[in-house]
This record gives sequence, structure tokens and C-alpha cells, in this order.
Amino acid sequence: MAQERVLVVVETVGSEARPASLELFGAGRPLADRLGGELVGLVIGSGVQGVAELAGRLGADRVLLADDPALGEPVAARAARAVEAAIAASDPALILLPATTLGRDVAPLLAARYGAAHLVNCLRIEVDDETVRVTRPVYQDKLLTTVRAPRSQRVFVTVRSGAFAVPEAQPGRQVPIQSLAVSLTDADRAVVVTQLVEKPRGMTNLENAPIVVVGGRGLGSAENFRLVEELAAALDGAVGCTRAVSDLGWRPHYEQIGQTGKNVRPKLYLGVGVSGAVQHTVGMRGSDTIVVINRDPNAPLVKMADFAIVGDLFEIVPRLTKRLRELRGTA
Amino acid sequence: MKIAVLVKQVPDPNAIRFDPRLGDLVPGTPQATNEYDLYAVEAALRMKEQLGGTEVVVASVGTARETLNRCLAIGADRAVAIEGPGLPGDSLATARVLAAWLQREAPDLIWAGQETSDAGTGNVGPQVAALLGIPLVSNVVGWEYRDGVLTLEREIEDGHQFQQVQPPALLCALSALDEPRLPTLRGIMEARRKPSERLSPADLGLTEEDLAPVVSWGGLFLEEEKAAGIVLRDVDPDQAVEQLVAFLQEHRLI
Repeated sequence: MAQERVLVVVETVGSEARPASLELFGAGRPLADRLGGELVGLVIGSGVQGVAELAGRLGADRVLLADDPALGEPVAARAARAVEAAIAASDPALILLPATTLGRDVAPLLAARYGAAHLVNCLRIEVDDETVRVTRPVYQDKLLTTVRAPRSQRVFVTVRSGAFAVPEAQPGRQVPIQSLAVSLTDADRAVVVTQLVEKPRGMTNLENAPIVVVGGRGLGSAENFRLVEELAAALDGAVGCTRAVSDLGWRPHYEQIGQTGKNVRPKLYLGVGVSGAVQHTVGMRGSDTIVVINRDPNAPLVKMADFAIVGDLFEIVPRLTKRLRELRGTA
Repeated sequence: MKIAVLVKQVPDPNAIRFDPRLGDLVPGTPQATNEYDLYAVEAALRMKEQLGGTEVVVASVGTARETLNRCLAIGADRAVAIEGPGLPGDSLATARVLAAWLQREAPDLIWAGQETSDAGTGNVGPQVAALLGIPLVSNVVGWEYRDGVLTLEREIEDGHQFQQVQPPALLCALSALDEPRLPTLRGIMEARRKPSERLSPADLGLTEEDLAPVVSWGGLFLEEEKAAGIVLRDVDPDQAVEQLVAFLQEHRLI
């Protein structure tokens, strides 16, 4: 095999790496070792020299840096051009991208241009001399399957957030950083970003929060969500909601977890008045520990839970919040 | 204006059951229209109502008679079914088929669902955009069309991003768009008289080589189930809370 390198695409937000893209170094290192080639990092953004250095500490053998104001906002056509330039510069056999909204635009755009395979949202990745084989969720996360692509041409892989751990940084590790010129065509500039309405502060890290407290329709009203907020505060967790709740306008859509919202994999998921419709559970199935407080013993989420209290949330949640505050000495 | 909408018929996500011996869904699983695609159709119909003088054409690769009929019944003007051996193939083959058809139709705008509920690759929309060389705007949750410019509200990790683009473009719909309308009896009757076309890949000038798959799929399987957890029923609330706190402490979660 002539092409043995693995290219890892690091997406940035402001001057920081998007956390999901750092997990790619965990996914990419064993693959590069198996192929006997380099692990090449590509950092895309504006003012992101620091991220390029971080990529070296996380195990990249060398880093390509596409640093340009036009690459500072996530637009698929522009990021795709940067990845194309990195492919030309490093001739990789395998290109790993995070399965973010941007990654899942860029990978298929390029796969179509190259007539190549894009293996989507992968949980496990294996390579041998002939094939790349991945495990990925299908049917809205209800089932898994394996997909193979021959190594006779480049293969694009998007990696599911949380499937691989970020490797431990090696302090002082320095690798060559080469700046990469990206020339955008007029067509690449056809889409213009006019505005970004950011999520309010404190809400941005729902997807990375180790503890998530989720309220469902069982709360009965927008006002009663105060119980969820207080419980989340006592646990130092983030607040999430179900689709029913955001559809009713009780909570903003950016708090929604599930098929049409966010995916979370916290250490602790605590559902309050959440029955656990599939549309919701696809977004939280990966949680380490699931705790549920619900009136209905037959609710699907009660069956998924590691710990469930079947009962009246209005009796239980205030007591739980009070007890947690006492334990933290903030009563 | 001409708007094309790409739709797919999928196993009904609320009815799927897994057969571990087959490593596949239980045969005869009821079919449904992919949910995001209905939102895409709805957006196209609303654009038509706003602009007037607009044709909405729906197309599907693979068997999709019920889905196409439903789209006609809720207001699409014309339906195209592209069928042939091995279709729908992998996402790139499907995208090539659609791109060949779209090149003939030359619509001003293409709507697709963000992804399907079956394989859920989300590949086809972006791949069609790439093959046609037109801009892609994904994860669309809102739109406005004024003076020839589309403003699209997208939901991304950081919040809501607004993008502007001039047609032609390909837009991928999420379900935060307007709720899809339901077919009316009158709509169903009218749908029977609307034009409906059936094409093969050969009709579109595609060869077997164009449709050769780049990936191969294995069977389906289930993630190992977790052991059943603790369920407290008819327990006094104070006691239940104490037990939960002990559980959280034991698992070092607090």
C-alpha cells in the first residue's frame, strides 16, 4: 500500500479545538500505527496556532495549519477546500473527521468529489491491508451494523463523539507545523454567514456536561421547570429537556436532547418526568448511569434506568435537591 | 421557480422489530415516509404558496409509491420514481442517480431531509450538492426568501447560524421547521390525476459502473443490553431520596 497516512481533521471554535475533534487522535493513533504511517493533523480555523501545538502534544506526527479568517466560521464549502488542500499535501489513506454538523457536511461533500466512501458516525474503526471496517449505529441508534470500504482508494470516516477518548497530552512534545494555503473559489464563497445567535452562557456545554438533569412533560408546566433547574444546580449539572417540552415552548430548543436535538453521554443522566420516547432516548442512550424519577412504572426510561424511583416527582425532587444541598453544605 | 424535493420510503421507525436470527429487521416491517423528508416537502409547499408560479417535484430512488402518492396528496405537483436493480444502492450511487435526474430538471432549489431514519448516513444531500457543484446548507430550521436571496437558519453546536445564499442550492431540513400537513381526502383524489413518472438509471444515461457501490454493509446487531437496574416502587419519598443519594455516592457521582 502506497498510501499509509491517517489525516485527522481538527475543527475549532474561536481559538479552541472542538472537543469532539480531539478524540480523533485517540481513534487515529492505533490506525496510523497499524498502517505504519504518519498521523497527520489538520487544524482549520482562524487564530488557531495554539490548537496546532496541542495537536502535536496529542500525538500528531506533523500538523498542517489552515489558519485564515475565512475559515473562522463553520461553513462546509470552505472547510472542505481546506481538507482538500491537506489531502493534496499529505496523501492520506484514511481521513478522520468528527461527526459534528460540519464534519458530516464536509466528509460527504469530499467523498462525492473523490468518488470515495464516507463511513458515517463510527463507534469502532479497524483496518487491515485490504479494507476499512467500522461499526456504526443505524435505525436511530436502535441497532448497530458494520460497514466496509476497500482500501484501494481513500476512505473518509466521521467519528462519533464520545466513542474514543482524548489521548493524554505529552507535555513538551513538539512536531513540525506547516502552514497550509487554502484558495477558496467563488463557489466556495457563495454561502455567507450573516449572524450567529449563540446559546446563552452556561447552556453551551450541555453536550460535554458530566451531569445532565432532564425534564419531561411530566413536569406539567414551564414554571415547574424550576424544580429541574434547582436540582441541576445542586448537582452542578446542565439542564436538558425532551422534544415535547421544547415543542410546548416550556424550554428553548437548544436544551432539547434526542433525535432532533443534542446527543449527550454524561456520567450521570437524571430524568424527571421523562417517559423515554425513542426520539429522546436516541440522544442519551450512551449515558454511563441513568437515574429516573417518574410516576409510570412502565415508562421505557424506567426500564433503561440503573436507578428508578416510581413516584410523584413533586414529592421527590424537592426533597432530593434539599438533601444534595445539605451534603454540599450549601443548605 | 421550480423546487425539487428528494424523499425516501423507510421502514416505519415506530414499527421496526429486530430479528437476531436474521440479523435484520423482521420481514414485512411497515413502510413510512422518512420524517425529515416530510418537513422538506412542507417547506417546499410553503415556498410555493408564498411565491406563486412554482412547481414542486418530488423524487425518490427505490420503491416509494406510497411516499410519492402522499407527497402528491399534500400538494406536490409531480412525482418521479427512479427504480432499477440494486436501487437504492449505497449513498454515493443514490446521489449519482439523483444528480443525473436533477441535471435534466434543473430546479432552482432542492430540498432534502437531513438524514433518513434507516441507515441515517446523511450523505445523499451533501453528495448531490457536490456532484451538481451547488451550495449546500444543512440542518435548516428556518428560511426566508426575499429579493432572490435565501436566508437560512441552521441549528449547529454553537447556536443558530444564519446563512445567505442565492439559488440554486441544496437545503437539508430538520424537524424544527413547520409541521408537515396531512393529506386531505380531496388531496388524495387530486393526486391520482397528477403526473407521475417512472425512470430507470439507463433512462438517465447511467451505467452499471456509475452505480458500483463504494461500501458494503454487514448485518444488523444489538448492543449488549445493560443489566436491569434498581426500581423503587411504593417507597416513602424520604426513604427513596436517601436510597438514591446512597446510590449516587456509591457510584461516586456526587
